[in-house]
Amino acid sequence: MLIFNNISIPLRTPLVLKATPRRNAVVLAQKQQQQQQTLTALTNLTISDEALASRGFALHRTINKLNLDHLNSVFVAVGFPRRDTDKIRVALENSDALLWIEYEKAERPVAFARATGDGVFNAIIWDVVVDPSFQGIGLGKAVMERLVNVLLEKGITNIALYSEPRVLGFYRPLGFVADPDGIRGMVYSRKQKKKR
Amino acid sequence: MKIGNVLSPPPASLRAAAAAAAHCRYPYGPWPHHPILAVSHNHITAFMQQQQLPARHDKMENRLPLSPHHILHAGCRNAKVSRLKAAFWESIRSGFMKNNTIQVTESPSTIQEEEEMLPDEFVLVEKTLPDGVVEQIVYSSGGDVDVYDLQALCDKVGWPRRPLSKLAAALRNSYTVAALHSIRKSAGEEGSADKKLIGMARATSDHAFNATIWDVLVDPSYQGQGLGKALIEKLIRTLLQRDIGNITLFADSQVVEFYENLGFEADPEGIKGMFWYPRY
Repeated sequence: MLIFNNISIPLRTPLVLKATPRRNAVVLAQKQQQQQQTLTALTNLTISDEALASRGFALHRTINKLNLDHLNSVFVAVGFPRRDTDKIRVALENSDALLWIEYEKAERPVAFARATGDGVFNAIIWDVVVDPSFQGIGLGKAVMERLVNVLLEKGITNIALYSEPRVLGFYRPLGFVADPDGIRGMVYSRKQKKKR
Repeated sequence: MKIGNVLSPPPASLRAAAAAAAHCRYPYGPWPHHPILAVSHNHITAFMQQQQLPARHDKMENRLPLSPHHILHAGCRNAKVSRLKAAFWESIRSGFMKNNTIQVTESPSTIQEEEEMLPDEFVLVEKTLPDGVVEQIVYSSGGDVDVYDLQALCDKVGWPRRPLSKLAAALRNSYTVAALHSIRKSAGEEGSADKKLIGMARATSDHAFNATIWDVLVDPSYQGQGLGKALIEKLIRTLLQRDIGNITLFADSQVVEFYENLGFEADPEGIKGMFWYPRY
């Protein structure tokens, strides 16, 4: 549910993108059909950048100015274990893409998501969080839509993530499908090793 | 478009191989001055220089193109190596063969294995073929995979073609690339050896918390021998040694059991793998 009055209507814009140099360079390299698909996705943001800005939220795409202790407290607030900030820094530096929303009045991050991968074929999205006090207004969706756009611009179409059962409904409207074609997400567990 | 890992060993032979391997351990330790490995180094060196491998965020960063001496330093267990070497040749000479294909020797206990550092490259299996040719299967985690070899291998297992430049980039951007090579040498001849890529698995990672394994494949003519299992086991060990706590992957339905047997759990605590608009 959105509290914003002016919702940006997804336009069937012609192939003229908002002028950002890296977008143009990457888009030109793709095949025509894929281009169509990704451009359709690229223009479909539920909440525009302007709408976010007018509500006092700033979008960031780098770790510059990101206070890792503040980020860590958001992680903890949503139930992640507290992790070493140095390790978090390493993880962020080695992520293919990341996006965070800052609540300008408090100068703190309130939403975050990042993706790792090989930069050409696959990407996995990790650490999608929204500060509990700011949940339910579309910030998670805003971060996810833009992160997916960034990956699509790079030509990565195999985008995956691991979802806790209670947030499957958050990812589905964003276009994510669980266990497609019977593919299962698996995690290595040191404790349980089958007798071989 | 295939997503995830495609490794389909015939279930029956996998179980047989697993049973055979149950009491066996892989030989441990490289051959320090092995002429075969020495010969193939020029090829490896040339390829690595050409690829301009990125600096890695760990000890491996200082690793130069492979040399026999370097492998020895990485392993640094001379005594054990020569002991294993002796045992190896002993077993070969005595004609010890479980079946036609695999010849594996016992290695020191599992506990020791888990505590010691895994070397970058070592021999997994060695066998003598009927015509006297000695074949070694070598595991390496240094990423020395020729992209043309890889494409040929992908063709062999029936994967759709991907652009070579993208394949090369994917390998470069992967945190760990583990490979299996088969090295064949005619009995009695020092010198020329046939080196062939027969398996690969790679993992992407954020270098701190998570790693995801992609593109696991084994040459069909080498499947059913437990090589895929060994490849993943060693890759996992490599990742754990680099302190990556969360190792994940996506498995096609027919190989879920394969990975379960390696210690993976599907949908742990109900956590589901999801894909963005997958194309079936």
